[in-house]
Amino acid sequence: MLFHIGTFHLDVDSQRQSPWHCLNPASRIVCAVLLAFATALTPHGRWLTWAIYAVALTIALLISRVTLTTLLRRVSVEFLFVGVVLLGTLFHPEGEVLWQWGWLRVTTHGLAVLGSVMLKALLSLLVLNLLVMTTAIPALLNGLLALRVPPLLVAILAAMSRYISVLVEESNAMRRAAAARNLFMGDRQTRLVTGNIIGSLFIRTVDRGERIHRAMLSRGYAGLPRPVEQLTYRRCDFVAVTLTGLVTLLGQAIYLF
Amino acid sequence: MLNFFATPLFALGLYDGFPFVLGMHIPDGFLSLPVSLLTWVASIVLIVLALGQVKGEYQERTVPLMGVCAAFIFAAQMINFPIPGGTSGHLLGGTLAGVLLGPWAGSLVMAVVFIVQAVLFQDGGLTVLGANIFNMGLVGTFGGYYLYRVVRSAVGFNRWRGMAAGVVVAAWSSVVVAAILVAVQLALSGTIPLNVALPAMVFWHVVIGIGEALITLIAIHFIWRTRPDLLFDPPNRRSAVSARSSVLQR
Repeated sequence: MLFHIGTFHLDVDSQRQSPWHCLNPASRIVCAVLLAFATALTPHGRWLTWAIYAVALTIALLISRVTLTTLLRRVSVEFLFVGVVLLGTLFHPEGEVLWQWGWLRVTTHGLAVLGSVMLKALLSLLVLNLLVMTTAIPALLNGLLALRVPPLLVAILAAMSRYISVLVEESNAMRRAAAARNLFMGDRQTRLVTGNIIGSLFIRTVDRGERIHRAMLSRGYAGLPRPVEQLTYRRCDFVAVTLTGLVTLLGQAIYLF
Repeated sequence: MLNFFATPLFALGLYDGFPFVLGMHIPDGFLSLPVSLLTWVASIVLIVLALGQVKGEYQERTVPLMGVCAAFIFAAQMINFPIPGGTSGHLLGGTLAGVLLGPWAGSLVMAVVFIVQAVLFQDGGLTVLGANIFNMGLVGTFGGYYLYRVVRSAVGFNRWRGMAAGVVVAAWSSVVVAAILVAVQLALSGTIPLNVALPAMVFWHVVIGIGEALITLIAIHFIWRTRPDLLFDPPNRRSAVSARSSVLQR
């Protein structure tokens, strides 16, 4: 779905026009990170906080005009994997016993933790998907640079994101070749061939790294990442970041009233 | 409670096998503020130190080499294989990265892989990225490398037997120790009690660790036979001293 044409395309909604899209990548990252951290790090059982964040997030999703079907499909797939571990949160010794069978018992506390974790995971997934679906990878990297992430780290992230699909395709080609020669016969044989493919993939990777390095040198690369492309900060950037900050504070402070 | 944290990538249709995945990528919302904060601090220190070390060692080759090596680990993690005992899993790659690239470059590459997985693919949460880097990068790769060095030196540094022992011990332990750490972090956060999380995680990852150890061993054996000069600590044999220029050789 993502890797079939040489590169992957996560930012299906990056070309739209909306108040969210008028923000520069750095402000989008700040907003998303603020909301995700505030959501995920709130202690269990603070339902009101998440209600406020959920309302804010719904508004953000609606004004950003992301494709809701794509968003829901991605989130439900990702959430499926969170769901498996959620079961474990149910069995806590504390709290009032609601249901008991042998040593297995479900308590009010366990139920509260289950609900809290589920909500937190769901909201965080929605926030991150909003960011990734509306912002292209080069813009994200540029935003990270503007936020003073070490340029070397950003340059490595950029190089990696460019070569993921190349190397995935290379490993798929090797596995296809092995399958075509009927090499995946039995578990032992399959492991042996898989291990050899990974070893051989590493050798090819290093050779490719050398080639890329020489190509970069021939284009005048001197070991320094490109200078930061200056981002423009408009009024909507300040408004959005301030609003997000206020909402996160409101969510935490609501219990004082 | 099989497969504690599985990989969403598989379900997105990136791999044609069935989605039975190991994986210890903790999702968002499972760890409390203190646990997240502490592991974030440890991970940021690791990344900053590793960036400095790697830049000193590889100079202007850092960006292309670390970039493709991170993509390599990402691709290797997507390959599914059968584990003895009837299930199937994929490589975590921490020890593989450590043995091939050394402790600093290895853990930097693993950290980069986790960042990309968390941000772009929501595989592992953003707020718990610190914990994921701590468990699998710092402990699995950095710690795993030194465990491998000790075992390899004890059995025989320049012989395949020593190499094999080091790789197997380090790969298996890195998976099991990471599983224990995840269980402890979940318990400390008050998310899953230790008496539920620890047995489930450890029981499962003792088996998964065998798969990790076997595949890492076979991959390293392939490189040992064909291009031993690419290993971070190449064996000091006559055959290994070749005139081939190697990027990763120190």
